[in-house]
Amino acid sequence: MDGAQTPGNSETDIWSEAGTTRVPFQVYQDADIYAQELERIFYGSSWNYVGLECEIPEAGDYRRNFIGEREVLMIRKEDGGLSVVENRCAHRGAQLCQALSGVAGAAIMCPYHQWTYTLEGELTGIPFKRGINGKGGLNPDFDMNAHGLVQLRVESLNGVVFASFDHEVVPLKEYLGPDMTKYFTRIFDGRGLRVVGYERQVIDCNWKLQMENLKDPYHAGILHLFLISFGLFRLDQESKCLVDDSKGHSVLMTAKGTEEGKEDTGGVRIAAPDFSLTDHDLIQPRLEFPDNVTLSIQTLFPSIIIQAQCNTLATRQVIPKGPGSHELVWTFFGFEDDDDEMKDLRLRQANLMGSAGYVTLDDAEALEFSQVGLSGSPTGDAAILEIGGTDCESNDHLVTESLIRGFYMRYRDIMGHGKAGD
Amino acid sequence: MDQTETSQPVTDDAVLRRIERLQLNYIASIDEGPLDNWPQFFTDKCLYTVVSRDNFDRGMELGVMRFESVGMLVDRATATQHAAVFAPRIIRHVLGPALVDDTGDGYRSRCNVVIYQTSPDGDTVLLMAATYDDLIVEQDGVLKFKEKRVIYDTHRIPDSIVYPL
Repeated sequence: MDGAQTPGNSETDIWSEAGTTRVPFQVYQDADIYAQELERIFYGSSWNYVGLECEIPEAGDYRRNFIGEREVLMIRKEDGGLSVVENRCAHRGAQLCQALSGVAGAAIMCPYHQWTYTLEGELTGIPFKRGINGKGGLNPDFDMNAHGLVQLRVESLNGVVFASFDHEVVPLKEYLGPDMTKYFTRIFDGRGLRVVGYERQVIDCNWKLQMENLKDPYHAGILHLFLISFGLFRLDQESKCLVDDSKGHSVLMTAKGTEEGKEDTGGVRIAAPDFSLTDHDLIQPRLEFPDNVTLSIQTLFPSIIIQAQCNTLATRQVIPKGPGSHELVWTFFGFEDDDDEMKDLRLRQANLMGSAGYVTLDDAEALEFSQVGLSGSPTGDAAILEIGGTDCESNDHLVTESLIRGFYMRYRDIMGHGKAGD
Repeated sequence: MDQTETSQPVTDDAVLRRIERLQLNYIASIDEGPLDNWPQFFTDKCLYTVVSRDNFDRGMELGVMRFESVGMLVDRATATQHAAVFAPRIIRHVLGPALVDDTGDGYRSRCNVVIYQTSPDGDTVLLMAATYDDLIVEQDGVLKFKEKRVIYDTHRIPDSIVYPL
């Protein structure tokens, strides 16, 4: 090995070169690296998606979620503001709320010994604190103020809520940067949101493979025979792949109907030629944003994806579950002002996405093929990321892996795996 | 869902046996194939939807599949066979006994179903525990599904759902 090594820290010497055209297979399966990712990325200076404000409209409403492997509660406070606290009692560590979402009421109470907290996580009540008849209870010098719930920093951008374990993290808009904020607010434009429904699936592959998949336009015109068959996605479409300055975030966009002539399929096998679609609503989007983009996929570091494929809009949250597995939570959403036709389109076009989606079931399958394939690989073996060159820059074409290379630039810097840019 | 006032429990064994046979033939079209037969169990205009109990209880209609005509069902069957990439698998439905009511507009049949999935390596996992909530009508002497709602409890799906349920 040569290049970017941190002296005296052999576990970070796994990258064979300074750049990110080779991703060591260990990062997808090594338990120590995974533990480091949780600490440095998820519990470090990152902003993590925790939900939509419209999921908790009333004071006392909560939605349970994960950041890394730690459970958090997103809560609507009495004053209409938001709080995010860890879902773990300060007393003995019991899980406070069990439902995926619900009503905590005026206070959060642990079901085990009824220790009680404000909606912001301050400890306010302990049963038999003074014991009974002067016997038992807590020592009088026990400091209630020092034993609240773990409170996270929280910010909302146009109804989408993010939280961080690091109270010193840069403000959310600064974390996203101006370009990513622009594309984020293209979809989350300030209109009231409504949840159309949820889907959850457990995919047995490392969480980063899921993020890679949404930064990989190269696969979309090859793997997804459904998209190819119906011209929903062509590698020669007018398109953009944008990487932000931090290299960790990206947007991938295509416009339908702008390509001309017969596609150069690059040797891709096309499905049965006599296969025609009976239901055309499925692939005829109604333009709803002020441009002709019919597919946009934004990925925000570390683990949230914002999808707009035709009129099916969703956040896809990637929740790590050990080195070899993750949960993918889809929150399909629309806007409060959707008319009946748009409501129908969102339900119907959801056939494209999710755990049984015409498009995305291929992804879940291919991602498991990846994890199975790389498992047990000898130290030193690595994935090749050289499609579209070696850089991490933005492109106006889709035959590139530059967005994935960018992700690993940011990853290496945060993980202390050498200086990726050296 | 509430039963309508006019709905009556079906006690005629011949009718119950016909409905049972419909359900068994239906699951065989998926478990044994060919999948091309699957849409034939529905009326031309129909509703086939696969919705999590979580969404259903929240009043949300979003399903992992939602088809409103035989044409859409044919599309799914064709796409699954010709335009999808997935590991081979065996699907096995196990049905419980059905509660059948005559609603006046057709037979409403509700039964529990568990669906297992077996990988090429021979590992069997529970894909989902679910219920079928169906509206069955007679068309030219043949019983068909006018509505089939698959409401599944197992809303943390293991990997992906490839075949209809």
